[in-house]
Amino acid sequence: MSQPEEKNKSTVISVKKDLNTAIIDFLKEGIDKQVFDDVIIPMRVPAKDSFAYVLVRNKSILNDGFFLPPVMPVQGGRMVSSVTRLGKKDKKTAIIMRPCETRATIELAKLGQTNLDNLILISMDCPGVMPISDFLKDTNKQLKNFEDSANNLDDKIMRPVCQICDKSSMISGDLHIGTLGAKKGSFYLISNSEKGNELIEKMGLKQNENINSWKEKVKKISEEKKKKRINKNKELKKKIGGLDNLTDAFGKCINCHNCMSVCPVCFCRLCYFESDKVKQPSDDYLSRAKSKGSIRFLPDTMLFHIGRMEHMSLSCVSCGACEDVCPVDIPIAQIFTMIADETQGLFDYVSGRSLDEPIPFVAYKEEELTDMEDSND
Amino acid sequence: MESKIGVYICECGPNISEKVDIDKVIDAVKDLEGVAVVERYKLLCSEDGKKFLVEQIKKHGLTHLVIAACSPRDHEKTFREVCENAGINPFLFQLANIREQCAWITDDKDEATKKSIRLTKAAIRRVRYHTSLEKKEIEGNPDVLVIGGGIAGIETSLQLASPVRKVYLVEKTSSLGGLINTFEKIYPNMELGSDLIKQKNLEIEKNENIKVFTETEVEKVVGFLGNFEVTVKKTSQDNSSQDFNVGAIVLATGSRLFDPKLTPQYGYGKLDNVITSLEFEKMNLSGKISLKNGKSPATIAIINCVGRDKKGYCSEICCMYSLKFIRYLKEKISNIKVTNFYSDLCIPGKRQQKFYEETKGKNIDFVRSKDIEVNKKADKLEIKYKDENGSKKNLSADMVILAPAVEPTIDASKIAEITSISQGNGGFFAEEHEKLAPISTSTEGVYIAGCAHGPKNIFDSITQAEAASGKILTSLIPGRKIEPEIKVSHISESLCIGCKTCLTVCSYGAISFDEAKKISVVNEVICRGCGNCVAACPSGAANIKHFTFNQLYQEIMEAIQ
Repeated sequence: MSQPEEKNKSTVISVKKDLNTAIIDFLKEGIDKQVFDDVIIPMRVPAKDSFAYVLVRNKSILNDGFFLPPVMPVQGGRMVSSVTRLGKKDKKTAIIMRPCETRATIELAKLGQTNLDNLILISMDCPGVMPISDFLKDTNKQLKNFEDSANNLDDKIMRPVCQICDKSSMISGDLHIGTLGAKKGSFYLISNSEKGNELIEKMGLKQNENINSWKEKVKKISEEKKKKRINKNKELKKKIGGLDNLTDAFGKCINCHNCMSVCPVCFCRLCYFESDKVKQPSDDYLSRAKSKGSIRFLPDTMLFHIGRMEHMSLSCVSCGACEDVCPVDIPIAQIFTMIADETQGLFDYVSGRSLDEPIPFVAYKEEELTDMEDSND
Repeated sequence: MESKIGVYICECGPNISEKVDIDKVIDAVKDLEGVAVVERYKLLCSEDGKKFLVEQIKKHGLTHLVIAACSPRDHEKTFREVCENAGINPFLFQLANIREQCAWITDDKDEATKKSIRLTKAAIRRVRYHTSLEKKEIEGNPDVLVIGGGIAGIETSLQLASPVRKVYLVEKTSSLGGLINTFEKIYPNMELGSDLIKQKNLEIEKNENIKVFTETEVEKVVGFLGNFEVTVKKTSQDNSSQDFNVGAIVLATGSRLFDPKLTPQYGYGKLDNVITSLEFEKMNLSGKISLKNGKSPATIAIINCVGRDKKGYCSEICCMYSLKFIRYLKEKISNIKVTNFYSDLCIPGKRQQKFYEETKGKNIDFVRSKDIEVNKKADKLEIKYKDENGSKKNLSADMVILAPAVEPTIDASKIAEITSISQGNGGFFAEEHEKLAPISTSTEGVYIAGCAHGPKNIFDSITQAEAASGKILTSLIPGRKIEPEIKVSHISESLCIGCKTCLTVCSYGAISFDEAKKISVVNEVICRGCGNCVAACPSGAANIKHFTFNQLYQEIMEAIQ
């Protein structure tokens, strides 16, 4: 797990009323001191039944900021990419997101889909998010439910992948808001980059405060979750391993491609599986049916998932967005997490951990994966 | 237009006919969609066979040709020419390899026949999706870039420069001549190094077809034989860069010495009067061979093979230059006593043995030894060693000259990367074939000369320079057209999402990024059609002509039917 290097700065910010207000005040001060020009933060939508990212210039609107919303309607990585892909101008924007959203942003920057110029990425210790369908059943009650769970570090109501997330405090952006292990009435602001250091300096904050209590708490939680994750992956592998089980797991897929549409790292302009390249003359389907005995329509349902796995598992941040939108409850994020842990592990790679780590498929080495070669002999 | 496919199955004498039931293959494919005619023939690549094919294509008005025969490496070109002669586009043709992939790999005629049917069917299905591709021609540039201004680079430049062929000679230091600049004399004839360099410099200066760049490094090379785009950059002054186009490149980047500090037993860097061979050459050239305290040495030890174990190869030249050092010493210091510690005396060549015999003599010892250690003892150096019989011995000397292994120049890896060639043993540039193509590299149009290829004496360096020049003179004839690859990659503007993955994997620098449109663009003249970008493109935007997704899909679907 990435920990801020010693050269990076950290500070403690006191919380007078509540964490949310403290972060709002911090952002207002940042705008006042011209450390950044605007911010992108989550807010409640006017109907109060969901949340959205909003670009804010006006300080009075900042008061509606709602950090760590109970759901993730849009993955932040996808959001940042959509507004910066064609370049970022000279205004500085601070963005507050969850760690998996920040990691997706870093991953997309490596893929040329996000321009990090003049962005200050701020992440927060994340308690997880609820499945959006659970939340929508009774938004007020569930919001309370979420807040209680978050305060008690209880993840039972969170998405299944959040329950096994060992990177919920991983810092890959410029700054991180650390609440774990902080004294009551305060939070840590931890820098992870030059940009982060500069912000702490410019805001005139006390530097180099001791963050050991945060580190210890994070380490403990992350180790517990890691164990859980390994076990869950093992169980799942037993359940879906092998062609028959896999076919069963995806048997109820309705080919809606929702999982692809919301995936932050599925960035193709046109998915191969939505292109004409996979469409065949009907004669071909007939002959396929003839050779296999029968053929299921729509065709290539399973191939779509395998293809996506092959394309995206190295970049998957296990955010769970895909599972949230699956109308037929396929544990798609859990399956992807299991696969991603193996493929990324193979290259000692963690998606979005650091800008300095090239995505494995562009860092080809002649002498690698020789074990795999041998096992196939 | 309805496609009319002609399918011809070659018996290849007994090669295919004895192992594959050709009639069964004919039966299996004759009713496939688009097939107008299926015939067998005894040897299609023969003159009669080719004539037969041309007649068949014309007679039946064929639009596509499928041949089931040998490997495309053997005769794809032959049959493409047949197509051209018969007036159909050579890319409306597909070769099914039923010899190497069927007939030659099994004694089971049934299995061989079954697989032949699959491969032939797959070729027929594939050819239906082929499109005509047109040949391109560009004028090959006869000019040459020579990297490195040592003796190999100088000699290559002089050989090649002519009114119809310009040579760009790029040297990173401020003057030409390379290592020879430090040598007083050159073995085996002991002529003066300075004379040789002076004369070569003069020839270069006089030659108006050689453009010399000193204090300059090569920044970028993209392209192929006949068409390389080169960018060079000044290392001094303003770092200004310059672009030019050449048809071939000679790597004559030379060598340097292994750092003896990595073998601490010799005391280099810690003890006074332990010096490297190059330092000794320089000392000798300066006119005075002396110890740190200014006195003249009376006893000298020369230690060969420093770093040989670490590098894993013999540096070839050390034994000979050690003999030359003994000559220097005998000439300049009366009664000098020299001991040459060697592990294997390596003095091959028609004049070398005589040079050795003439060097031997009073006060000159050659000691075969191992486990050498140099220490300070009083004001002298003490050399501990084991002799041939393994007995421990020691010897005292005023000065120790080390002959360290020869290594490629410090920027060999950078140059290898820029020119897309590989490095072999010891980091020297790898030749295309150790025996059969020792000057060529894996990149067509890039050649190696001199120590960049491995440790070499001046004679061998010049031989290589002449060989590289010969290669270029025969392949880059001024005015001759070259044909860029036809089966190149194409990146769809509407599908490319601009992730730049293809830029990282392209081995030829053929892809650039259009910042305005945020998409990747292939330079079709530089692309060699390797397909790396197609495999790496996550969006399926890159496609290679003649190997399109659909063509491959159709072929595979039929083959596994």
